[in-house]
Amino acid sequence: MAVKLSDEVIALINNSETVKVLATVDQDGNPHATFKQSLAVGEDGNLFFLELLESSQTNRNLVRSIWFNRKVTVTVRGKEGQSYQIKGKPVRNIIAGPLFEQKYVEVRERLGDVDLAGIWVIEPEEVSDQNYWTRKAAEEAAHPYFLHLDRLAK
Amino acid sequence: MSMALKREDQIPLSYSEVVREHPDVPPLVILKIDVQRRGVHYTQNALNVIDPSVHQLRSPNIFGARDAQLTPVPDSLLLRDGSSIVVDPTPLERNPYLVDVVDGQLVLTDQGEVLETVDFWTKPDFYDKKTSSGALMNHVITARPQRINVFPSGFCHFWVNDKGCRFCDVVNHLKQQRAELGIPTRQNPQDVFEAVREALKQPGRFTTICLTAGSDTRGAEPFDQEVDYYIEILQAIGANFKVKKFPSQLVATAFTEKQLARLYEETGIRSYTTDLEVLNEELFEWVCPGKAEWVGYREWKNRLIRAVDIFGRGYVGTGIVGGVETAKPKGFTSEEAALRSTLEEAEHLISHGVNVVFSVWVPRPGSYFKDQKSPSLDYYVRLAKGLHQLRVKYGLPVDFDDYRRCGNHPDTDLARLL
Repeated sequence: MAVKLSDEVIALINNSETVKVLATVDQDGNPHATFKQSLAVGEDGNLFFLELLESSQTNRNLVRSIWFNRKVTVTVRGKEGQSYQIKGKPVRNIIAGPLFEQKYVEVRERLGDVDLAGIWVIEPEEVSDQNYWTRKAAEEAAHPYFLHLDRLAK
Repeated sequence: MSMALKREDQIPLSYSEVVREHPDVPPLVILKIDVQRRGVHYTQNALNVIDPSVHQLRSPNIFGARDAQLTPVPDSLLLRDGSSIVVDPTPLERNPYLVDVVDGQLVLTDQGEVLETVDFWTKPDFYDKKTSSGALMNHVITARPQRINVFPSGFCHFWVNDKGCRFCDVVNHLKQQRAELGIPTRQNPQDVFEAVREALKQPGRFTTICLTAGSDTRGAEPFDQEVDYYIEILQAIGANFKVKKFPSQLVATAFTEKQLARLYEETGIRSYTTDLEVLNEELFEWVCPGKAEWVGYREWKNRLIRAVDIFGRGYVGTGIVGGVETAKPKGFTSEEAALRSTLEEAEHLISHGVNVVFSVWVPRPGSYFKDQKSPSLDYYVRLAKGLHQLRVKYGLPVDFDDYRRCGNHPDTDLARLL
């Protein structure tokens, strides 16, 4: 079920200084995580990124995901320590057409003599705040046993 | 095996049943096969979406359509995974899939059920331009989403003594295109040069060039004239590139080593395909009498294998018209036997570095087999899976004929996972 990303998360993902990691899974269940700095949120609310290599492990894993309905995750971390994980599904691989050609030109202007294999579109389904202090507060509320006693001693 | 045999006596499995039967094959690939098998009909709502300045309408092609018309409907479809469905318009009475608009989106439907969103192909920038001789460029070369098509000649000399391939409508279609659109029998190399030059001005639009034409038996040695003509056309195309070899595919007759060496050395061609059409010697003689007469099944296979020495492993292929091995009355009567025989022959070729790819057999109105019926969806899914598994077994790449550079072979769509 698609979810709408908050303005804060969108701003974080669209910030070029944010570190962005895409994790996919191969046929045998091996995780594969790579930095994808081209990750951004489009006007339709979906995430997208530019895959430059047709034969990359990420590209193959995403093909498997779109074909067999498997999820991927995107983890982002801002320079102020904000961090979110977005689980989602690849819903579209754009390999031709006006948008593809526009991004092809843009990426070549930016990086030089590179190619573009496709634009992957990922529909977000779940967003979680991965900031440590947010996660700590949530854990303390939900799991009061998950701590060492010395922290409670007088 | 027994399950499959039993299945043949029953009502063919539906799309959703075949999807359930093959959880290891992507439903999108299964859908593509079935859409190719049954064809499409565009509803008026879908036709209203067409913007002729944006969308690519049916272009001159080497083969005709199931409706035997040259109507300006969308050329073909793109699925959301980036793969193409190369498919032609089909009369409603043949029970095609519908391309319709639902909730503002273009979709494929069957019996009222929405199955997938689709897009029309977009028109390349060169399409409405003219060459210096005044030829409309889309009458010289055509396009798939990422490929330039060149059909240098629509005439096949096997038809001269009525020995054209029985599933093929190439010459009848040529006559129709010549009469209705003014498409020439042979393309002028200068026109091809200029049209390709214009096409390459669109960044990101094309990844390969595919040439295919009818066989030409003439020459000092059989097919020398065909080879000469390809060399002329390929050299004209090659003049547009700064490198000698460029991603390309020649789909042509089975040439001798001497002819192939000339093609490889004198042009920029990178891969070579020569279609056996059906992987069975007896059926080949019946289905492809011209090919049998001029080359023969065993020699065709030998030429394919020898071509690997010239073009390299993974750069030679043969196409088969998937399902034509069940044509009546001489074809296999059991889908199981047809599949087993085809895959055994395919393994022999693949083990020698020759790719085997299939296209879904469409009994076209302009062909000898026009009243035949293609096999079940389940058959095609098993054929796609079988050919893919053989490529995996022998580690044979098929980059030159994959989902992007071709898009007409469901089995090579599966190579995206390799």
